[in-house]
Amino acid sequence: ARKLSTTPTRYHTPSSSVNETEISHFSALASSWWDPHGPSKPLHLMNPLRHDFIQTCLSSSTINHPPKRTNLRYLDVGCGGGIFAESAARLPSTLSVTAIDPSPIILAVARAHARRDPSLRDKLVYLNETIESLKLPEAPEDRYDIVSLFEVVEHVDYPAAFLDRVGQFVKPGGWLVLSTIARTWTSWVTTNLVAEDILRVVPKGTHDWAKYVNEGELRENFARKGGQWGTPTVRGVVYVPGLGWKEVRGSEKVGNYFFGVQRV
Amino acid sequence: MDVMIRRHGAYVCRSCAQSLPKQLRRAYSATAQPDLYDVVCVGGGPAGLSLLTALRANPVTAHLRVALVDAQDLAKIKSWKLPPYRFSNRCSSLTPSSALFLDQIGAWRHLERDRVQAYQEMQVWDGVTGARIEFDWAPGSGPAAGTTIAYMNENLNLTSGLLKRLEELGGVSMFDNARVEKIAYGEETDEMDLREWPVVHLSGGQQLSARLLVGADGANSPVRSFAGIEAHGWDYNRHGVVATLEMEGEGWGGGHTKIAYQRFLPTGPVAMLPLPGNYSTLVWSTTPSNASLLKSLSAKDLIAMVNAAFRLSPTDLEYMHTQESGQADEYSWRLEHTPFDCQAVPQTVVGVQEGSIASFPLKLRHADTYIAERVALVGDAAHTIHPLAGQGLNQGQGDVQSLAKTIEYAVSHGQDIGVTMSLEPYVSERYAANHVLLGVCDKLHKLYSVGSGPLVPLRSLGLSAVNAMNPLKNFLMNQAAGNGIKVF
Repeated sequence: ARKLSTTPTRYHTPSSSVNETEISHFSALASSWWDPHGPSKPLHLMNPLRHDFIQTCLSSSTINHPPKRTNLRYLDVGCGGGIFAESAARLPSTLSVTAIDPSPIILAVARAHARRDPSLRDKLVYLNETIESLKLPEAPEDRYDIVSLFEVVEHVDYPAAFLDRVGQFVKPGGWLVLSTIARTWTSWVTTNLVAEDILRVVPKGTHDWAKYVNEGELRENFARKGGQWGTPTVRGVVYVPGLGWKEVRGSEKVGNYFFGVQRV
Repeated sequence: MDVMIRRHGAYVCRSCAQSLPKQLRRAYSATAQPDLYDVVCVGGGPAGLSLLTALRANPVTAHLRVALVDAQDLAKIKSWKLPPYRFSNRCSSLTPSSALFLDQIGAWRHLERDRVQAYQEMQVWDGVTGARIEFDWAPGSGPAAGTTIAYMNENLNLTSGLLKRLEELGGVSMFDNARVEKIAYGEETDEMDLREWPVVHLSGGQQLSARLLVGADGANSPVRSFAGIEAHGWDYNRHGVVATLEMEGEGWGGGHTKIAYQRFLPTGPVAMLPLPGNYSTLVWSTTPSNASLLKSLSAKDLIAMVNAAFRLSPTDLEYMHTQESGQADEYSWRLEHTPFDCQAVPQTVVGVQEGSIASFPLKLRHADTYIAERVALVGDAAHTIHPLAGQGLNQGQGDVQSLAKTIEYAVSHGQDIGVTMSLEPYVSERYAANHVLLGVCDKLHKLYSVGSGPLVPLRSLGLSAVNAMNPLKNFLMNQAAGNGIKVF
């Protein structure tokens, strides 16, 4: 299993967090991305909870930064077909959404879908970039209020370095918000065996259990950054086929969860 | 000399203009920009008006760009006014739940309140056996909200009040005196892809592109047809006859305890609902031939028929329906030979408002579903019910409350309000509840249409039994008022 260590025996900074096998797996799903009853159904059903989680984070903002609830600028990393990016762009409190993904095939789907809603035109922009290739804004205040990383970190080869780079894009007082899956026996059973093999609600090969990241590992990772980040906000969620996603206290230890940290 | 051609503010010479990509040229000469709305509501009846009011009154949804389309002159409806001794013949019973919703969206205070009649008691009985059920709140047993069972209200009072509230809120593009010529899908251009957006083409030439098209356009809904949604059901072979009546007094309970009456005759239920002062509104569900007879009678004979409907036996009534005239004399003669408790029936009708008698056919319809991509149905467009339980308009208000809440959730979570995934919670909440109510009223109609045979004593036994069981009656009254526990 991987560890979120920044000093492995042979440390090297990857020029890209992108794993080609992962990318081609997702590119193959491109055309069904927006079918709400297709393989992406769990993502569509989870999307409203992402917004609820962001609201939870924003309400708990520290007093060092005046709470900012409007004119928010989002950076959505690994946006895929744009389920979250579009929904963030529609919110009245959003000023702009920049959404990046390394797969040009999926981005084509995202762009085509966004054209169906004229209200997104001035608020949403898609870029075919990785977080490493994306230009980091010079001035901290030009960085983003919310950087979102939903269902991404478990698909990345070197998550620690990746999170370091992603974190640079969060402006002071802004939030890094992510969702991922814990690496436990339970999550192997639910997300691999049940979801992929038995019920087939998730396409086979989507998840590599070895790459799952535990909530404790994330906490340690951010705590080690010299006070750059506040205390994390964490919420576990469980998917029940037929009912959708439900928040369940403590389930972050065993399954899917949201994790948010505020940049000091 | 090359002719300068102006393109997007820059001058371009002809030879350059010719080498510009084709698309740019097409976009430049394209048709006018589509007029985009978040919600286009076709139908300015109680359901459509309530929906737009709810959306405008809620800060979460108040930024949505909304339009209303109706064939009538809405300004005339808004300024509707009748003197206190004349009442429109189209009245509906508003449950406390509907009244609460109307209050929450700020419309209730715009109704002419002294034309709204709250009632505290209901007397319902079997025309064949006399088995009776009395709905009233024993002192102390009523809900905290008060002892009102429901409110009788003229439909025009409601729509006029809603229009006044909409005027107060502002922000609705009104297209009244407008017929819908056709509904078609939008087009794809370089800038946007509206192939899934319904576009409403109006008789005045306007084209409204809708993120969400709401069909609040009645039982024969064109929006429902556009969406390819079928509605199934049957005609009852009955007509509802309505009229405004003047009574001998304010009612047996006086001005503060108004009573609603319904008697189940084999031909259909006859209901007398209280209005302010000495007035009542009649809703008599009966056969089409009886209905035409009633509409043809002189005022004197019609009054006699209505009084007879609540007092004489079904056999007497059947005979009187065969007379072309002279029911007044027939009634006074038969009355002498019929024993009844005068306080258990409505007071005597002494007058009928001129021109107020009318009828409409009764049917049951339920749409197969309430939504399609970028389409939602509310009110009669979604379902049509028998009037015997006074639930039709309230069902529409219930639909609106649910759809407004569904839209609010979608907006606050960044969803496109028109896609079926956003609209599905509305169907889950309303479909089963409406289906059950349609079914219950249908079965009640069928049960009480039977004039003889074993069902008659059985239903009477059932009714009397329910009458004797106060906790059950309280439960039923709370359900009818809409403030009981949610069963569905």
